[in-house]
Amino acid sequence: MGRKLTDEIRDVAKGWRWGRRTMIPRSAESSTPPPKRWDFPTDWARSDAAGVARDLILDVGLRSIIWNETSPEVFGLDNLEGLKGPVMFISNHSSHLDASIIMITLPKHWREKTATAAAKDYFFDVWWRSAFTALVYAGFPVERGAGERATAKAKELIRDGWSIIVFPEGTRSTDGWLQRFRHGTSRLAVEMSMPIVPIAIVGAYAAMPKGRSWVKPGRPPIRVRYGHPLFPREGETHQQLSLRMQQAVGELFDEDRTSWWQAQSRAARGETPKLSGPAGPGWLRTWEGTRPIRRSGEPPTWT
Amino acid sequence: MGRPGFVLEVDERTPPLLVHEGEGFRLEKFPLGSRVIYPPDSLPPIRDVRGAIRHALEHPHGSEPLRELLKAGMKLTIAIDDISLPLPPMQSPDVRQLVLEEVIGLAARSGVEDLKLYMANSLHRRMTGAEIKHTVGERVHRSFYPKDLKNHDAEDRDNLVYLGKTDQGEEVELNKRAAESDLLIYVNINLVALDGGHKSVPVGLASYRSVRHHHNVHTMLHSKSYMDPRPGRSAIHDSCKRMGDLVKASGVKVFTIETTLNNRTFPEPFGFMNKREWEWSLLEQGTYLAAKKANDLSPSAARHQVWMRIKSPYGVTGVNAGETEAVHERTLAKLHEQQLVEVNGQSDVMVIGLPYLGPYNVNSIMNPILVHCLGLGYLFNMYRNKPVVRPGGVMIMFHPVPNEFHQVHHPSYVDFFEEVLAETNDPSTIESKYEERYATDPWYIHLYRKSHAYHGVHPFYMWYWGAHALDYLGDVIVVGGDPKTCQRLGYRAASSFRDALEMAGETVGRSPSISYLHVPPLAIADVR
Repeated sequence: MGRKLTDEIRDVAKGWRWGRRTMIPRSAESSTPPPKRWDFPTDWARSDAAGVARDLILDVGLRSIIWNETSPEVFGLDNLEGLKGPVMFISNHSSHLDASIIMITLPKHWREKTATAAAKDYFFDVWWRSAFTALVYAGFPVERGAGERATAKAKELIRDGWSIIVFPEGTRSTDGWLQRFRHGTSRLAVEMSMPIVPIAIVGAYAAMPKGRSWVKPGRPPIRVRYGHPLFPREGETHQQLSLRMQQAVGELFDEDRTSWWQAQSRAARGETPKLSGPAGPGWLRTWEGTRPIRRSGEPPTWT
Repeated sequence: MGRPGFVLEVDERTPPLLVHEGEGFRLEKFPLGSRVIYPPDSLPPIRDVRGAIRHALEHPHGSEPLRELLKAGMKLTIAIDDISLPLPPMQSPDVRQLVLEEVIGLAARSGVEDLKLYMANSLHRRMTGAEIKHTVGERVHRSFYPKDLKNHDAEDRDNLVYLGKTDQGEEVELNKRAAESDLLIYVNINLVALDGGHKSVPVGLASYRSVRHHHNVHTMLHSKSYMDPRPGRSAIHDSCKRMGDLVKASGVKVFTIETTLNNRTFPEPFGFMNKREWEWSLLEQGTYLAAKKANDLSPSAARHQVWMRIKSPYGVTGVNAGETEAVHERTLAKLHEQQLVEVNGQSDVMVIGLPYLGPYNVNSIMNPILVHCLGLGYLFNMYRNKPVVRPGGVMIMFHPVPNEFHQVHHPSYVDFFEEVLAETNDPSTIESKYEERYATDPWYIHLYRKSHAYHGVHPFYMWYWGAHALDYLGDVIVVGGDPKTCQRLGYRAASSFRDALEMAGETVGRSPSISYLHVPPLAIADVR
């Protein structure tokens, strides 16, 4: 008896992983009921006051850090001209930098009415991460694999005029290559009849892949390419739309690798290189996926 | 439906685990790979307890309905389990109150006039009026206490009757009024498998002359365990059964009513103590911190008061009535559903945190002899088939083991500690050399009958309860125990769990297997 309260608090905080994801002893996993469903409230993060705070965090805080640690370039924002929200921004997803870069590079009048879909089991698991996601990205939780329930909040926001940022792969790529697009994204776009703006983020994987908590040294280049908006066609199924979305992102990657003209030509011939990476063992995909990204101004060293 | 019992294997994800240590508790990190034995989740309680009691009385097992047994002009006696059950005491209404109200209501409607009630305290201390009132409820208390609701007096020669000897030569002497009644109804709470069945009447209403035949070293050494009352496993239960058969053969008609409880042991805000640690909410973690600090900072007298005021929010899970053995079989089945946990194999080291309360220190002090009884007696024996720890293994207990005694409740314990244990802690030597003298000491008998003292022989029985464990274990180490007191008991004291494991290494090697019996709430390890 008689231990200091601070020691007790430290033991409890460490033992129960305060501020981190709760973990269940392995032998108890099968007998422990899942935690109670609890939705972190996010509506406050879309208020005007939160918008001001978000601008400050993104433009002063995160922009300074990311633009200092990496060399980002943005192309194709002109594709947003004349477009009216709400729209769905979709992008490949290979790094924690992705959402920040899109939010920072979006024109201010778009950003102030754009929210980010974030995985509930990761970004909304502990209070501080939930609050950060909600405030900085105007994030709202999406329950992976929850079907209709997963898109309920997104539909509510779209009806309120909010554009949304979605990563259709559902999770970050582990090897830098594009994963299969989940159909929930295209189904939502079809149901809401909303335009889709494809975005390709090139170099984020090389700069900060999954598993890293900070950007690699050397100010690695990152290029963000906004593409032409896609519109769901009359009678188009969500599967068809999903393929078009992948094709659009693929063309943007091709454009980055070659030129706008070559990419267009190859797309017209149906020869846009696949983004799913080379077939083969895992190491080969990672090897290929981690090839250095050329810096702007340098001629491409590979095709 | 709650989850069954569970054996956790400690890994790096496991938070520190709650360990009781008398009137205190702590979080303790266990070595990776340690096993932790948790009881099943609390069973859902019966919603309509009175309805269940009425149903049990109307549809008894192996007996006519109670209504048909009650007749005008009959002599009826009701015996009731005493303050040693349940632990902690139940929040009002105690299930015994509910049973009594139904039974007495039936008796009244049947025209019964000659009705007496006895607290079946055997050689335990007499209960106070307030304690009896909490147990039986205000209506019963006001109607019968003190004239017709009394403590059983095992030294009142005028109210004892000798019924004879069993085929093993065990003398059976019972409360005369109970034995000579037309019907004896026994109202029980079955907290552990040790309780109930034939241990109710032949023990609860008996005298020293009778009790000594099964509360002795030989019986204890052959009860493996006494939480496993199957024939041939527990000598104490076999003895009680023989006595129960003799009681029956003597013409005493017994109608048994047994009840079982779930394991909602601790009320709020101490509800976190009922839960598995990794399932503690943030609020419960905060409550632990607040409760721990408040407990540690409280003066010992205030702390003692807080613990003694705990009343458990137990739910009733079963009510069975009728013939003793038929009833007890069903009671045990329900009890096992609530407490039994399958455990694979034995360990080198068994760890237990001794809680603040045992059967004999309700509203009292857990003195060193009672620590021995609770740890090496009751908790060591919370097993079926084989002990949790291997032969020659080590038991590590958490308790401060203060050298404190309740002078009113435990006068003979003081002398036992100072006189008997100062000379030897060998149960057989103690039994042969000292038991008779303490059991027949007029002053202890006077205190038992007129004050609220446990019988003079009671500390001996407490020591015998631990005889099997003492014989079986290679070492007993008490974390946080008072070194001098522990030495007197034959234990070794360690200042920390880490030290205790180091010390255990001398007996069981450097990398022992460890099992922590995470009680309370209570669990019985079914060791395969």
